[in-house]
This record gives sequence, C-alpha cells and structure tokens, in this order.
Amino acid sequence: MDATTPQSGYRLPIRFVGSGSEYFRIWIVNLLLTLVTLGLYYPFAKVRRLRYFHGATEVGGDPLSFHGDPWKMLRGYLLVAALVVAYSLAGWFSPAAGAIAFVAVAALWPALWQLSLKFRLANTGWRGLRFGFTGSRGGAYLAWLPLALPGVLFGALVLLLAPAQRGAAAAEPAVAGILLIAALPLVMLLALPAQLWWLKRYQQRHYRLGGEKSRFEVGLGAAYGLALRLFGMSMLFGLLLAIGVALFTTLLRGAFETHQPPDGPPVAALLSAALVFVLLQATWGAYLLSRLQNLVWNRTRSEHLHFESRLTFRRLAPLTLRNWLLTIATLGLYLPFAQVATARLRLESVTALSATDPALLLQHAGGGADDASGDAAADLLGIDLGL
Amino acid sequence: MIDALYFDGRSAAARPVRLRIEDGALVLQEAGAASESGAESRWPLAAVQWPERTRHGQRLIHLRGGGTLRVPDSAAFDAWRGDGGDGAGSWVVRAQQNWRATLAAVLGLVVVAAAGFVWGVPLAARTLVAALPTTVDAEIGDAVLAQIEQRWLRPTALPQARRDAVRHAFVEAVAAAYPAGDAPRWRLYFHAADKRLGANALALPGGAIVITDAMVDALQGADDTLVGVLAHELGHLRQRHGMRALVQVSLVGAAAGVAFGDFSSVLAGVPAVLGQLAYSRDAEREADAEAARVLKAAGRSPKAMLLLFDRLRPQPGEGSALAIAFASHPMDEERKAFFRAAAD
Repeated sequence: MDATTPQSGYRLPIRFVGSGSEYFRIWIVNLLLTLVTLGLYYPFAKVRRLRYFHGATEVGGDPLSFHGDPWKMLRGYLLVAALVVAYSLAGWFSPAAGAIAFVAVAALWPALWQLSLKFRLANTGWRGLRFGFTGSRGGAYLAWLPLALPGVLFGALVLLLAPAQRGAAAAEPAVAGILLIAALPLVMLLALPAQLWWLKRYQQRHYRLGGEKSRFEVGLGAAYGLALRLFGMSMLFGLLLAIGVALFTTLLRGAFETHQPPDGPPVAALLSAALVFVLLQATWGAYLLSRLQNLVWNRTRSEHLHFESRLTFRRLAPLTLRNWLLTIATLGLYLPFAQVATARLRLESVTALSATDPALLLQHAGGGADDASGDAAADLLGIDLGL
Repeated sequence: MIDALYFDGRSAAARPVRLRIEDGALVLQEAGAASESGAESRWPLAAVQWPERTRHGQRLIHLRGGGTLRVPDSAAFDAWRGDGGDGAGSWVVRAQQNWRATLAAVLGLVVVAAAGFVWGVPLAARTLVAALPTTVDAEIGDAVLAQIEQRWLRPTALPQARRDAVRHAFVEAVAAAYPAGDAPRWRLYFHAADKRLGANALALPGGAIVITDAMVDALQGADDTLVGVLAHELGHLRQRHGMRALVQVSLVGAAAGVAFGDFSSVLAGVPAVLGQLAYSRDAEREADAEAARVLKAAGRSPKAMLLLFDRLRPQPGEGSALAIAFASHPMDEERKAFFRAAAD
C-alpha cells in the first residue's frame, strides 16, 4: 500500500512524477496563448501549470490537486492589474501622487499576501481533503510590522528633518538625524533575520489539514544561527568569486579589446556580471535555499504530522548551475525543464511522517476562500509565497 | 468500467470503487464484499470535472460537492475515456500532447515575439505616449535634469559670446526648418561635464537639450556640425523618444515577466534591457533624419555631420556582431553613409 508502517508511524515519501519535456509542451502552448490574448489567458495558463505541478506531486502515493477556478482568477487579475497600472502611472504624473500610491499599495500588501495564502491553500487538496490557512488579516499586518517599521521611521525622520534643516539655528538636530540615518542600514541588517523569522513564523503556524494545525518550532536563535552561517558562506563564496572573476575578466578583455568601439558599453564587464550572478545563484543562493528549506520544514509540525527535509547543497548547487547556464544558452527555452528538475530535487528530499493512519484525517468545517485577487496580487506584485 | 479510489471530501479514507458511465451519469459502484450488488451512487456528468490528459502522473476526477476519485492506472483511464476529455480546453490539451503542435507553438511564439518586438511595442508606445499630456514629459525631464546636474554637470566655462553664437545659429536653423513655427519646445543648456560624459549632447523629455563644453570645443569652427548635433537632439524631442523608451521598457518587461517572471525577475529584466538598446538604435536613426532635414532647410550640408565622427572618434572601431547587439547607437559607418546620402 501507499503508506508503510514502521515502529514510529506512517512514512509518506514525496515523489515528483512530472517530466521536463511534458511541462515544456504545456508551458510553450500556454505561453503563446497568453501572449496572443495580451495576457487575458494568463490565469488559465497558471491553473494548468499548478494542476500539473500539484498532480505530479505524490505524497505517500496520493497526488495533490489544485482546484482554483480560472474565471474567478481572471477577475482577480483584472482588478489587480488596474491597481498596478494606476500605481505605475501615478508616479509619472507627480511625485506626490506616486508617494500616495506607494503608501496605498504598501498598506494593502499584508492583506493581499494573507488573501493569496488563503486562496492557494484552500484550493490545494490531498486525498479529497482541502488544506487551509488560518492566519487572520490582523495577524498578517502584525507579521509585516517589523519589516515596515524602519521604512515608517525613516519617512517620519525625513519629514521631521526637512523643516529643521531649513531653519538656520537647527544645526544640532540635523547632525543627530544624519547620524541616525547613517546607522540605520547597519541596524536594519542586524534586525533582518528577526524580521524575516517573525514573518515566516506567521506563515508556518497557520497551515491546516483536517484537524491538524501546524506549529513552527524554529526559535529566534536558530534564525540567527542560519544568518551567521550564511554570512560566513558569503565571505567564502565572495573570495572565490572575486578570484574567478578577476581571471575571467582578464581573459575576456584580451579577446574583446581589439573589437570594442571606444564608447560602446563594456562587453567584458557585462559578461562578467552575468557570470557573477549565475555563480552567486549556484553557490550562495543554493546554500540559502537548501538550509532554509530544511530548517523550516524539519521544524514545522502538527500534532500527528511532521516532515523530514534532507535537501543537500551538494546536489542543489550543480543543478542550479546547470539550470541557469542552459536557460541562458537556450534563451529561456530550457526554463520548464529547469523548473521540473528543481521541483523534483526539492520535493523528493522531503518525507512526511504521520503518527496516525492518514486515512483517519477528517475535513475541517468551513475554510472556503474564493477571493482570487490576493493570488493575482501575489503574481503581479511579485509577492513570493515561498511555500 | 474502471477501478478507482473514492475520497468523499469529508474524510481522507479511500474507498475502492468501480466506475462506469450510464444514462448521462457517472456511477460509482462500491467494490465491497457484496460485489455485484454493492452500494451505488450516481453523479450527473455536468457535476463531474474530468482530468486533462497527461503522460505522467495519475488521474484525478473531481465531483461537485467535494468528492475526488483517483485512478492509479492512467493508461486504462485514457483508454476508457477515449477522446471525451473536458470540452473547452481539449484542443489546447491535444496541442500539449503533440510534439508537432508544440513545434508549431514554438515557431508561433517566435513569430509573435518578433512581430510584437518590431511592430507591436513601438506602435503601442507611440499610441500611449501620444495620449499622455506633455506636462508628464516636463515633470520627468525636470527630475532627470536635476539629477544629472547634481551628479555629472558643472557650470559652463564657455564665454557668453560663444554660447550666444551657438544658440543663435540653432534658433535660425529651427526657424528655417519649421516655417510654420510648430517646432517642438526646446531649451538649451550649456554645461561642463566630467570625463565619463565627455563631448556629448542629450535631450530630456519636456524639451531640455544639454550640450557639454567639450562638445562645443571639439566642434570649434564647425557651426554646421554643431547645429546638426542640436537638431539631432531636437529630433529626439520631436518624437518624444525619452517617453517612448520608458513605455517600451515597461511593455517588454511585462511580456518577459509573463514568460520568465515566476523563475527569476532578473532573467525577466534582460529582454527589457537588450530590447531598449535595439529601440534606441532606431530612435537614433530617426534623430539623424531630423538632423539632416534641419541642416538642409537651413541651407547647410548634412555632410557637416561627418566631421563629428572624425573629431570625436580618432580610431573608429570595427564592430563585432556582439558589440552591435550591445551598442545603443548604430555603427558609425552606417550613420556616416546616411549623412553622405542625405547631402545628395
């Protein structure tokens, strides 16, 4: 049967059965339809993509399912697209209108994020049950508050200091303010792990399946531990990269110097920048992704369910490097293959463990989420769900 | 008849059932101990959401009201259902299943992307910019001018007489080229600049033309060329190239975002940058055409522009294909040939 029963309970290994070539065909056909309909087909393409990825993800032999209604999502997209257009036009007409639009979108952001989580989870099923996201709207605002606080403080400072600087006798507060502003980036950097931890905590402790409600057992200490290791790795990767790029640039400069028009953009520098970007993704990015996935999912659990995530940097790094190089070399056509390969590695590193027979789970009452505008916002405004 | 597992949507327990279609309904027959006479439930076909055909993975059938059927044997399911997949999307699904259709989609995508890039985006940008009030240009141009004045420009060191002479020559040329007085609005600024800007002239949305001291000095005694350079910038203003560039970047960026955005926003930004460089070369050609037109109208020869390339680029470079893809201006040789031809 699907679930095996060792002493400790039921192991539900996760398998990803999708194929790159099949997803390539789905992607290209739907991308063409999206472009020729000037984007109107996008939600339909997205539903098809999610259905494919969900359906290819088998947890203990049972695939996930996606139930989003593309017509409802289209309405959400049109709504949010209007918001985005108004937002980007506002800045063109006057700086004041741009500032107001920015504040309005910033104020809506946590609510849209919460809606998108609710929508995505409520439309994901497994063994006929729907997942749920139980985080409240107020909780979402609270979760974003630490991240928004420096921005709010900074804005207030600028507003306070602007008139002070105009006054001739107000030199002293201006100096203090400048010191404060100079110290702010450092404080913000040191606070970042705590802010992100607080945000992730809200997200991970509000998942629901049947009677199971998730808990998040990563403490602040573990978050700073990861941040510290990341910092150490940045030093190491940074050093290696600097050496590599110096060599590469020297070689390239030799090759291009004779052909370069005197005032053209520096081709060697552009290629080096692209190389640095790809290498950063393959080293630092892969390290962050693997450690973060393991930390978060090994310590997100509910009464009867928990996970084992064993994503290794050793396997993710070469895959990331290959994905990027092939995607660039094929002008993007390799993208669907890259996405499938990454999904397979990340998902198959995870095993779900259940202390009880998963067949005993019962659907919780209510929890429908029909508002697709949050999901549309997540796409159009680039909110990363990062489930 | 096909075997499936039924999940009722209330519990995660699986119940083995046997499926058949009868009288416009999907019939679930519980494969219980009572075998043939096991309990049956019926679902009108309108309440059944069939899965799209895929090569990999199992088949999930969703029933209105929350039930789900899982068919582990996909091949048997496809044989059972035949071609009766879900109505609306079925031709899309067939295209997805077919390598020939996929290849056609790849070609179609290339054609649509190329057509959109060559005609669609510039046309859309022209239309959108035409609808924007010119106060928007001025707003943006002022902000940009303030920025570059602070960062790259210093007060001019040119004598007043020299500045007046340049301005006067240009005013006359513009008046000759626009006898009806319908020239685009322009304001001329002289500025000293550091080495990065060098001998240069630029046009900002809203009408500001900035020319650097180094440019005026380099064209000492060549007033025709100087007028041509300013007329080139006037061409940018007339076509509102700055505003069009902004719209074009947004449009290409949005299209690339649809294609690559869920993977990497950096990757999605690349086409916008490369695209802008290509559009910028077209804009330069249009501006050169305006330069030639104004020079001729003012009774000056477009050939004067050739001097620009000789004085500013002592060693003209041979362009490789890669360098052309990255360059914002057309190659010098092409521009020189244009001005030579315009003089005839």
